[in-house]
Amino acid sequence: MKLSNMFKKTSRRGYISLGEGKPVHMAPEVPEGLLKKCNVCKSAILTEDVKKGYYICPKCQNYFRVHAMRRIEMVADAGTFEEWDKGLTSGNPLHYKGYEEKVEALQEKTGLDEAVVTGKAMIAGNEVVLAVCDGRFMMASMGKVVGEKITRAVEKATGEKLPIIIFACSGGARMQEGIHSLMQMAKTSAALKRHHDAGCLYVSVLTDPTTGGVTASFAMLGDIILAEPGALIGFAGPRVIEQTIGQKLPKGFQRAEFLQEHGFVDQIVERPRLRETLAEIVAMHKQGAYDLPEVEEKETQAVQKNLTPWERVQLSRDKARPVGAEYIEELFTDFMEFHGDRYYQDDKAIIGGIARFHGMPVTVIAQAKGRTTKENIERNFGMPSPDGYRKALRLMKQAEKFNRPVICFVDTPGAFCGLEAEERGQGEAIARNLFEMSNLQVPILSVVIGEGGSGGALAMATSDEVWLLENSIYSILSPEGFASILWKDSSRAKEAAGVMKLTADQLLKAGIVERVIPEPEDFNLETFTEVTDPMDDYICIFLKKYGAMTKEELTEKRYDRFRRM
Amino acid sequence: MIKKVLIANRGEIAVRIIRACREMGIETVAVYSEADKEALHTQLADEAICIGPAPSSESYLNMEQIISATIVSGADAIHPGFGFLSENTKFAELCEKCNIIFIGPDSKVISRLGNKSEARNTMANAGVPIIPGSREAIYDASKGKEVAREIGYPVIVKAALGGGGKGMRVAENEAGFDMAFNTAQKETKAAFGDDTMYIEHFVQHPKHIEFQIMADKYGNVVHLGERDCSVQRNHQKMIEESPCAVISDELRRRMGEAAVKAAKAAHYENAGTIEFLLEKSGNFYFMEMNTRIQVEHPVTEWVTGIDLIKEQIRIADGQQLSFTQEDVKLTGHAIECRINAENPEKNFRPCPGTITDMYLPGGKGVRIDSAIYSGYTVPPYYDNMLAKLIVFAKNRTEAIRKMQSALGEVIIEGIDTNVDYQYDILHDPKYQAGDFDIEFIAEREAKNRQG
Repeated sequence: MKLSNMFKKTSRRGYISLGEGKPVHMAPEVPEGLLKKCNVCKSAILTEDVKKGYYICPKCQNYFRVHAMRRIEMVADAGTFEEWDKGLTSGNPLHYKGYEEKVEALQEKTGLDEAVVTGKAMIAGNEVVLAVCDGRFMMASMGKVVGEKITRAVEKATGEKLPIIIFACSGGARMQEGIHSLMQMAKTSAALKRHHDAGCLYVSVLTDPTTGGVTASFAMLGDIILAEPGALIGFAGPRVIEQTIGQKLPKGFQRAEFLQEHGFVDQIVERPRLRETLAEIVAMHKQGAYDLPEVEEKETQAVQKNLTPWERVQLSRDKARPVGAEYIEELFTDFMEFHGDRYYQDDKAIIGGIARFHGMPVTVIAQAKGRTTKENIERNFGMPSPDGYRKALRLMKQAEKFNRPVICFVDTPGAFCGLEAEERGQGEAIARNLFEMSNLQVPILSVVIGEGGSGGALAMATSDEVWLLENSIYSILSPEGFASILWKDSSRAKEAAGVMKLTADQLLKAGIVERVIPEPEDFNLETFTEVTDPMDDYICIFLKKYGAMTKEELTEKRYDRFRRM
Repeated sequence: MIKKVLIANRGEIAVRIIRACREMGIETVAVYSEADKEALHTQLADEAICIGPAPSSESYLNMEQIISATIVSGADAIHPGFGFLSENTKFAELCEKCNIIFIGPDSKVISRLGNKSEARNTMANAGVPIIPGSREAIYDASKGKEVAREIGYPVIVKAALGGGGKGMRVAENEAGFDMAFNTAQKETKAAFGDDTMYIEHFVQHPKHIEFQIMADKYGNVVHLGERDCSVQRNHQKMIEESPCAVISDELRRRMGEAAVKAAKAAHYENAGTIEFLLEKSGNFYFMEMNTRIQVEHPVTEWVTGIDLIKEQIRIADGQQLSFTQEDVKLTGHAIECRINAENPEKNFRPCPGTITDMYLPGGKGVRIDSAIYSGYTVPPYYDNMLAKLIVFAKNRTEAIRKMQSALGEVIIEGIDTNVDYQYDILHDPKYQAGDFDIEFIAEREAKNRQG
C-alpha cells in the first residue's frame, strides 16, 4: 500500500488556543554567525564546532583557510607571540590604478597591514621565528612588503640562530607590483640560502593554496616541508594548465597527497597534530650533548657453523625475517618519516627520517621489504629506484647539515632493474651516493639485515662501518645472476653461493665488514630482541667512537677504509 | 504560542506526537531521512522535510539540518521524542539560541542530569535516597577498590556517561574487582571517549520502578504514579505496567514524594522520569532521571487519564499544569508490550524487511502505538521497535488476560517479531503473580537453556 497524500491534514479551525493573551515569544531565527555553510560539502555547520575543531568541517573534514593570527594561536604557546615589522607599506611602484585604495580597504577589513605576519614565539617551550601568510589579503600574494617581511624574519632568525617556520598560502607574486614582486622571489630565496649555510633549520608548511611565485621560491626551500591534507600546491594554477594543454586534469592533481607521492613534501600533517609535530621537529634539531648508555664490548657468540652458504642465502630471504621498518620501530623512538627525493617521486622501497636513539637525534634510512605480498608490491620487494637513492642522499645531506649520525639498514635483492629506473638514471643515482657518502661529515653506520645485493646495497653502505647479521649476505650480485653470467645457467645458484664468499663470516675474514651479529636459530619477530638488544649496545659503542672524532679524522678514516680494499 | 511543531524523530513516537498536535489544532512538520520517505510519520504530518541520508548521524542526529528545517518551515517548537537528540544538551541549547521552543527541560537541566555523578550528588543533597557509592569520579582500579571496600560488596562499576548497559560491570567480591573495573572502563572509553567511572553498592534482585513527573515553569511538580519496568532483557525494557503489583499506597506516597523532591532539586520542567531501584525490603534508591518522554508513557496515560504529550506541549507553551497532585488518581491497570522486529530464536537478532501482511488487535481497552502498515519496509538503520501494544482493564488479572488475548491476535507477516516470546511471558506464573525483578528474563532464559 502506498500512503502518499492519503491522510487528512491538520485543520487550523480546530486550533485550541494555548496562550491566553500572553506575549508571543520571539520568532525563531538563527542568530547571525551561529551557523555557516561548508563551501565543499555545502552542509550547514555550527561555527563553534568549526572554531573548536581546528577549522575543519565537522561533516566532510574539509580544511578551511585559517587567518594568520588564528594560525599562530593554534601553533604557538599562548601569549608568546611577539610581532615584528608592523606597518611596512609598499607604495604603488607601477602606479596601478586603485591599488592603494584596495590595500587600505583590506587593511581595514582584516586588521592586518599586509598579507604576512612575522615574529617570534615559543612552541612547546622552544623559541622559533614564525611567518604566516593570510589569504584574506589579496590571496596573500607576494608584493614588496611580503617579500621584505619574510626576508627580515629569515635574517633575524639566522642572526639569532633560531629555526624559522613559514606557513605558506599564496596566489603567487602580486601582479599589481609587477617586476618588483618578481624580485621578492630571489630576495627571499637568497636570505634562506644564507640561513641554510649558517646551519639553521627552516620548516615550510604548505597550506591551501600555495601557488605561483611563492611555490617557486621560499615555500619549496624548507629543510623539511610539511603540508596540510588536500592543500592545492603548484606553480601554474590548474585552470591555466587546463587551458594551455586543452585537457581536463585528473582528480587530486596538485593536491598535497599528489605532491608527497611525487617527492616534494616530507609529510602531510593533519591540523590537530601540527603543533606537536612542529614542536617535535624543533626539539630534535636543538643542539645539545647527548649521553648514550655505558656499554661494554662483549665476546661475540659463536655463529651457527653448520650451515651451507646456500642455506644462508635462503635464510637471508626468509619471509619471517624482520624487515627494515621493524628495526626502526624496535631500536629507535619518535621516528618521523620524511618522504620524497624532491625531484620525481617518493620511493617506497626506502623509508627514511629522523628518530631518537637513547634520546640522541639520528637520521635513519632503511631499505624496506614488505611484510605481506601486498606491501611487498607497494614497496617493490625492497628494490629501490633512483628516486629512493636520491631520497636517501637528501636525508644524509640533511643529517650532515644538522650534525646527526646516519644509520642505514640494508636489505635489497638489488637496485630495481627496469625501464623507468634506467630512464631516471639508476647508475647515476648509485654513483652519486657513493661519491657523496664517502665524504659525508657525520658518522655513517650500515647494517645488512637481509640481502646486501650489489650496487643497490653499496649505495647505502659507503660507511664508516658495515655490519652483517649472521645469515645476511653481501655480494657483487645474486648467486642466480652470478651463475647466469659466468656459467650461463642460473639454476647453478647453489654452487655459485659456495664460490662467491658472500656469507658473514667469510666477509668478516676478508675485511669487508667490521662486525657480525649472531642470530637465534629461529629468527623472527618473536626472537627479534635477541638480535636488536646486542645491536643496540653495538650502536652505542659505534656512535661514541665515531662521534668523538673530528670531521677530518672521520672522513679520512672512511676514505682509508675503502682505499685499502 | 505554539502553532506549529517540528517533530525531530521518527517511528511510532513521531506518529504519537503528530496525533496529539493534530487534536490540538497545531500544525506538524515531520523530518525524515532518505530511508524514511515512505514512513508513516513522513506521510501523516502536514509537511515533511528530508534532512539527510539514512544513517542517523547524518539525519536524525544532524542538529544543523533540523534547526534549518525548523526555521524554513516556520515551526515555533521542536518535539524531540525519545532517543536521538531528546537528551542532547547541545541541541537544546541551540534551540534556545534560535528562539525555538524545545519541548522538554532547559539545556542546563539536561546537562546536569545527564552526568550521572552530578545527578546523584544533587539528589543526595536534596535528601533523595541513593545507593551508597563513590561520590567522586574514579579513574583507576586501586582507588576504586578502596571505595568498594567501604561501600560493601557486591558493587557495580559504571561509566559516568554510560547507558544501555555499556560500561557497566558487577564485582561480587574483591578478587573480581580489577577485572570488572578495567573492562567497564575500556568499554566506556571506546563507546563515549570518556573514562570517568563511579562505583556503588550493587542492589541484588531489585525491581525497576520509575515515577512519571510533570513540572511547569511555575514550580508546580506533580507525580503521576509509577511504572514497573522490571521485565528487561540486557537492560532493554520489554513489558511495562502501572501500577506496580507490589507497591502499597503508603510506599507509593513515599516514593512519589521522593520523586517530586528530586524533580524540584533539579529545577525540572516538563515531563520527566525518576528511576528507582526497589529492593524486596521496600528500600528504594534513586537511579537516574530521564529528561524526556518515555516509550512506556501510555501506561501512565491510561491509569491517570492524562495525555502526557499534550501536557508537554502546554507546559512548553508556558501554561500552568492542568491538574494538581490531588487530581491524580490511579485507576485500573495498564500493561504495555513492546513488539520488536527481532528473532528471539536467533539471539534476538534484529530483522528488518518488508511487512507483507498484518493484522493488529483492537476492542475495548486495547491501544496500539505504531508506525507500521501493510507493505511498509522496516529499514535496518534504526531502532527495531515496531509497535507498542497497550491494554487497560480494571485490575491486573484482567489486564493480563486482555494482553494475552490481544497478543494472540497480532499478525505481522514478512519479518520476525518477538510476539510469541511476549505471549509466553504473559503466561509465566511468576509474571502473573507479580513476582519478578530485573533478573527475571535472564533467569528465565538460563532455565530454558538448561531445560
